[in-house]
Amino acid sequence: MLHESQLGLSPQGRPLHATGLLDEVERAAAVAGGWDQVDLVAVGLGPGSFTGLRVGIASACGLGVSLGLPVRGVCTLDVLARGIGEAGAEGEVLAVLDGYRGEVFAALYSPAGERIWEPLVCRPEELAARLAELAEPPTVAGSGAVRFRHELTRDGVRIADDADPVHRVAARHLCALAAASGDGEAGPPVPIYLRPPDAERWRERDSFQRAK
Amino acid sequence: MAPNDGLILAIETSCDDTCAAVLDGPRILSSLISSQAAAHAGFGGVVPEVAARHHLELAAPVVEAALAEAGVTLDEIEAVAVTAGPGLIGALLVGVSTAKAIAASRRLPLIPVDHLKGHVAANFLEPEPLQPPFLCLVASGGHTLLAAVRDHEGYELLGQTLDDAAGEAFDKSARLLGLGFPGGPALEKEAVGGDPEAFEMPVAMSRDPGLDFSFSGLKTALVYRCRELGEEGVAERRADLAASFQAAVVGQLTAKLGRALKRGGWEAVALGGGVAANGPLREAVARLCEQHGVRLKLVPIALCTDNAAMIGSAARFAPRVAYPEYLSYDAFASGKRPAVAH
Ligand SMILES: [Zn+2]
Repeated sequence: MLHESQLGLSPQGRPLHATGLLDEVERAAAVAGGWDQVDLVAVGLGPGSFTGLRVGIASACGLGVSLGLPVRGVCTLDVLARGIGEAGAEGEVLAVLDGYRGEVFAALYSPAGERIWEPLVCRPEELAARLAELAEPPTVAGSGAVRFRHELTRDGVRIADDADPVHRVAARHLCALAAASGDGEAGPPVPIYLRPPDAERWRERDSFQRAK
Repeated sequence: MAPNDGLILAIETSCDDTCAAVLDGPRILSSLISSQAAAHAGFGGVVPEVAARHHLELAAPVVEAALAEAGVTLDEIEAVAVTAGPGLIGALLVGVSTAKAIAASRRLPLIPVDHLKGHVAANFLEPEPLQPPFLCLVASGGHTLLAAVRDHEGYELLGQTLDDAAGEAFDKSARLLGLGFPGGPALEKEAVGGDPEAFEMPVAMSRDPGLDFSFSGLKTALVYRCRELGEEGVAERRADLAASFQAAVVGQLTAKLGRALKRGGWEAVALGGGVAANGPLREAVARLCEQHGVRLKLVPIALCTDNAAMIGSAARFAPRVAYPEYLSYDAFASGKRPAVAH
């Protein structure tokens, strides 16, 4: 690895995607020896904050157009899970991101890193109930695990300290997964929202009420 | 200020159309608009999150298509222009992020553009560019304003809507009458066979000496008329309702334009924004201009509705921000554009 950085929050506690991402990207490219040395742009597809996904994916696609580079997206839960596995987890791995609105984004992985549960969005209590059904408690990590530690900590479930880097999504794992995914899956990066737009839900509710 | 006259790539994503254009000075080499109208039709209006999701899918392909149609490569582009606001923040963010990434990776200057200046600057485009000074009425789903354009760089705001935009009023009333989206064209079509004097609509702001607009009273009046008529009555009188409502909107727009003209000194009038596509408005403004002996400039409808060519046109007269100063540049939803943070 040549370079890796992670932006925290602004002094006001807000994410720095729109104002900070491109600066970090340019710095990383410079460390690599300039854009000429770069063969592939990898981007996290989420699930995550809408603003974060917009800035990340639009920037990646802009770079792809500009530099004539392929852009490959990777599910952010896969990236988190790879980090958890590399940190020495034994057995299954549950990647949990804070899903906002009191919910979590989660996916379960085998020790080999294969998905057992597809990415889902649910309340932490529901995730805890699903956890309880597993034969062996997995290693749980991620921003959602930190946030809902209380709800998710049950018999045998291990969650590292809040400050442990295992909870963070790291760009080097994103690069590794994108590089390994091969050319076969090319195509425009499609964000993983897991939720319909709010208005879609209102429309569903309206039509449901009208039908009643 | 001398205009920026190299090749400009422009991107516009402030509302529900994903647009990219390539300009060579005032000449349009390509201007592509990928409309999302179909995606929003089921909602009867633009849904911010749906818009942002579509922009994210379309921005890069539309930019590539605009370059291809212009027959140029990015190597020939000298600056990247982008709508920085006002607009839907999630939608703007996609355009700004795309533009910044393209500009930064090529060390090109970025030109952030105010969307409303873009509507005014559509008039500076070839063929037959209009030179300031002129009065410009911009009416669309997102904005309604009257601008005194004295130079290429900006404009003086003479009046603006205090509530709904004119196009928004059309959308809402079209929904009320069970017509399609976008409301303007649907309402205009329905109004063709109707009597514009069948229903009395309040003459909003008629006694207000200023040049501001207000359309919410009209919408309320239409709600009451519909309630009085009942579902069947509305179905029967739909054309008359549409014609009366349209006449009231057009009446207010032209009344304020007429008042501004009376204050004098103008030799030309320009129309911009999606509502400028409305036939009765065009006719009424043409009559007004004839009465006042001023020239009327009507840009093609594709340049009235949101498009990236107008953003490129405004960018020719806006400050360039050099790399890397714009790396931290953010979109703005409304109000004044924030200064570039260093
Ligand atoms: Zn507009």
